[in-house]
Amino acid sequence: MTDPAAQAARTDPAGGADPAAAQPAPTSDSAAFAIRTTDLTKRFGRSTVVDGIDLAVPRGSVFGFLGPNGSGKTTTIRMLLGLASASAGEVRVLEREMPANLARVLPAVGALIEGPGFYPFLSGRANLHRLDSADGFASASTRQARVERALERVGLSSAAGKKVRAYSLGMKQRLGIANALLTPRELIVLDEPTNGLDPQGTREVRTLIRSLAAEGTTVFVSSHLLSEIEQMCSHVAVMRAGRLVAQGALDDLRGAGRTHLRLTVATPDAPTAVATLSRLGVPPAPLGESHPASHPADRPAVRPANDSAIGPAIDPAADAAESTALEGELPETVPAETVVAALVADGVRVRGFAVERASLEDLFVELTGEGFDVVQ
Amino acid sequence: MNRTWHRWIPAVAVPAVVVVVAVTGGVAATASADLPERSPQEVLALVGASEVEAFSGTLEQSSDLGLPDVSALSSGSGSSDDSGAAVSSALELATGSHTARIYADGPERLRVQVLDTLAERDAVRNGDDLWFYDSDEQTAVHATLPSRGDGATPGDSPPGTDGAVPTPDEMASRFLESVDPSTDVSLGSEQTVAGRDAYSLVLTPRTDDTLVGSVTIAVDAETGMPLEVQVFARGSAAAAFEVGFSELSLDTPSADLFDFAPPAGTEVTEKDLADRFDGDGDGGAGPGADASDAAGHQGSEPTVTGEGWGSIVETSLGGDLTEITSNPLFSQLATPVEGGSVLQTALVSVLLTDDGRLLAGAVPAELLQQAAAAE
Amino acid sequence: MLLALAAVPVLIAVAIRLTDDGQGGGGGPAFLDRITQNGLFVGVTALVVAIPLFLPLTVGVVAGDSVAGEAGTGTLRYLLVSPVGRIRLLVVKFAAAAVFCLAATLTVSVAGILIGLALFPVGPVALVSGDTVSVGESLLRSLLIALYITLGLLGLAAIGLFISTLTDAPVGAMAATVVVSIVAQVVGQLSQLEWLHPWLFTYHWLDFADLLRQPIEWSSFGANAVLQLAYVAVFGALAYGRFATKDILS
Repeated sequence: MTDPAAQAARTDPAGGADPAAAQPAPTSDSAAFAIRTTDLTKRFGRSTVVDGIDLAVPRGSVFGFLGPNGSGKTTTIRMLLGLASASAGEVRVLEREMPANLARVLPAVGALIEGPGFYPFLSGRANLHRLDSADGFASASTRQARVERALERVGLSSAAGKKVRAYSLGMKQRLGIANALLTPRELIVLDEPTNGLDPQGTREVRTLIRSLAAEGTTVFVSSHLLSEIEQMCSHVAVMRAGRLVAQGALDDLRGAGRTHLRLTVATPDAPTAVATLSRLGVPPAPLGESHPASHPADRPAVRPANDSAIGPAIDPAADAAESTALEGELPETVPAETVVAALVADGVRVRGFAVERASLEDLFVELTGEGFDVVQ
Repeated sequence: MNRTWHRWIPAVAVPAVVVVVAVTGGVAATASADLPERSPQEVLALVGASEVEAFSGTLEQSSDLGLPDVSALSSGSGSSDDSGAAVSSALELATGSHTARIYADGPERLRVQVLDTLAERDAVRNGDDLWFYDSDEQTAVHATLPSRGDGATPGDSPPGTDGAVPTPDEMASRFLESVDPSTDVSLGSEQTVAGRDAYSLVLTPRTDDTLVGSVTIAVDAETGMPLEVQVFARGSAAAAFEVGFSELSLDTPSADLFDFAPPAGTEVTEKDLADRFDGDGDGGAGPGADASDAAGHQGSEPTVTGEGWGSIVETSLGGDLTEITSNPLFSQLATPVEGGSVLQTALVSVLLTDDGRLLAGAVPAELLQQAAAAE
Repeated sequence: MLLALAAVPVLIAVAIRLTDDGQGGGGGPAFLDRITQNGLFVGVTALVVAIPLFLPLTVGVVAGDSVAGEAGTGTLRYLLVSPVGRIRLLVVKFAAAAVFCLAATLTVSVAGILIGLALFPVGPVALVSGDTVSVGESLLRSLLIALYITLGLLGLAAIGLFISTLTDAPVGAMAATVVVSIVAQVVGQLSQLEWLHPWLFTYHWLDFADLLRQPIEWSSFGANAVLQLAYVAVFGALAYGRFATKDILS
């Protein structure tokens, strides 16, 4: 299943994955999916927030659900959990049709949805007791022990007696995760679990998720931060503007990124360098898209030199001529040293030169767009 | 979208059912009964033979006489002087709707409770003891009836209804008295009143000189007891005055009810009521009775001119008219005409002439003016 | 909130006690002038005072907060994924509101009786019919009145529950519910709209005096129950329709 998905990500970065390509064969191994959606769509009035997505979350995976703010992640999660109804499409969670089997499915699902929600005037422990007693399937006799264990797992035991309004954001977040862990779950859905956590807390959450996965629980984590997903997930799906633009095992997606060799050249002689690079057949790369000024025809893209790749190495004040960073995508057939030699031969003053394997972040940015604009 | 609409089905169905039940519930209550056919005479005889002496029930009375709602005004001016109170209580009866409970155990033991919001007016007769109690004012009037010996007939109208809702019994007998050539008596469609099957007697005046269009009396098919009286104004489909049982039980009510003693803290007045009954009982006969009741006992003996439905009662108030005309209620209700002021309701007209005569009748005001001028 | 309600009879009793000149003046709410004669009337008087505003206010707050409050604190979504069925949640919330209605009326009534016992003489109680009943029976009737008023508030609670499902802002739902109760009472005062009066959920609110008659007039109790049940059915169904189809986005 991963190959077509990765391919979809490559071929159709903006328009969403072709359903046929992104979908594994539905009949053969559908039992292996903790979450499965078909053409899931949510419209609010005229705007389509989630647009025909086909999620496939394998059982036992740690599934990263990635996308910028406003890309429809939380809405999707709400539909998965039956909080919002789908405008179209189907949802299956733990192999059951979803809005119909809420009562049977949800006891096996723990969730943290868009931040924690607790009664501020109750203690953390009392809040967990209340939520646990709301779950008709949770046995009352083991409640005490389960609550304490959940609190311990998130490191809140000592603060459990305090009223929630005295909690910091991070503590509330932990309490929210504790709530998701109250009973043994088959699937845990965590929406932005590390929001508001300090680096220490983030690491703990990561460890927690790994240990959950080790127990065989499927973990579905949403985040807008790739670095988090990259460190703990086995599978990833990427949302952009309500569409699923990539989905698959993390390694496969990385593999898809392997074809990207990013070439960065810092030089004051930009025009000459552009000519040289073009002659060498360095293919166009859309990596510099964030600069609207750069004309699409200007390939490779041109951008100021204060870029992290080469910036620290060169002091622009040392030379009268300002350096410009050129970026290009290097085909694997062209050795890097050939490029350097050609540039030098053409009299280009090369002040910086780097060839990097494109990281998942590049892929992410490529798929989701860059910058702060919330895409609607 | 489909799923959403399915979920709304019960949510829409329940209110719809409730509304339908609420609307049709009123209709079902008046569904006609299936009774053996009888002539008007037979029904009248049934009434005459009625021997119900012990019962308890709830009376609903409502009036739509075309008067403005004066309940707010009357409560403000009512308590100060006696005649004002009498007028305003009569007006209150004529304009609003009331619920009263009535308990009777023979003619000697009777209790009427007029149920007001957060208050109650009671009239109790237990043998010769007579009590009137007003919980709002916390006042009680006690009277001992003059001994009548055997002369007291069982059919005597119970005296306990002063200022209260007349019973169907009283109302019906008043109207039945006027059943003479002036009135067409027929049977209307059968009714159900207070859950009992009833014949309905329709009395239609033969003269055009009256405001009354028709009077309908519901007569219990089983006991002959009048259950409901409705008075319709000429040309109106809705009853202008209506009194009837909403609940009726023929069981003998508990004897405790007639054993009345005013609670502590009540202002009790002892009164000799012998005079009052003489004036009240006779002057009230005829269709115009309830409006003339209020002031009837104060002046000289009333005289009746005309006959049947066109009867006009005339009495001289004497005394100082300004006491009445200065009452704010009066100026609000009455219309000045040549030679006096007219109080016009849907069923009754009252003319107060400038020279202190009061004429009343279930006739148009012009006839009153003619009668006043004729003297 | 219950404390604030309990303050109503206490304030009345203390005010009467302080201004008592031996002769209860006219005016004021019904039964007010009887308090000095019998402390047991404090409870009834306090209910008369509390019915138009205080009780609807507190019921509006509780019912309006029921669902919208959970949405506001963000706990609604966690309750629903716990999972609590949406119907069950509504039923539980309505039950809680109903229990509050009872607690509120009992609070006013009991606080009134207690403060009455403390400040005024107590004896057999005169009913509005003029008959006198023993202290024990009067307490029984006080309980009946509390039940009657509780029943009368259920319709408002159902309306509040429905409004509460319409919004995620608890304050808005509370305010709207209280406004509905006030509008209903104002409409109930307008004689031009008399045809509408029997359909208002406030119509029977003050008829609890029927329980102070001798014998007790049960018909208003029944009519009140039917009316309130109809309101509960209608607005309960609407609340269900709204809540079952609602997207929980808070």
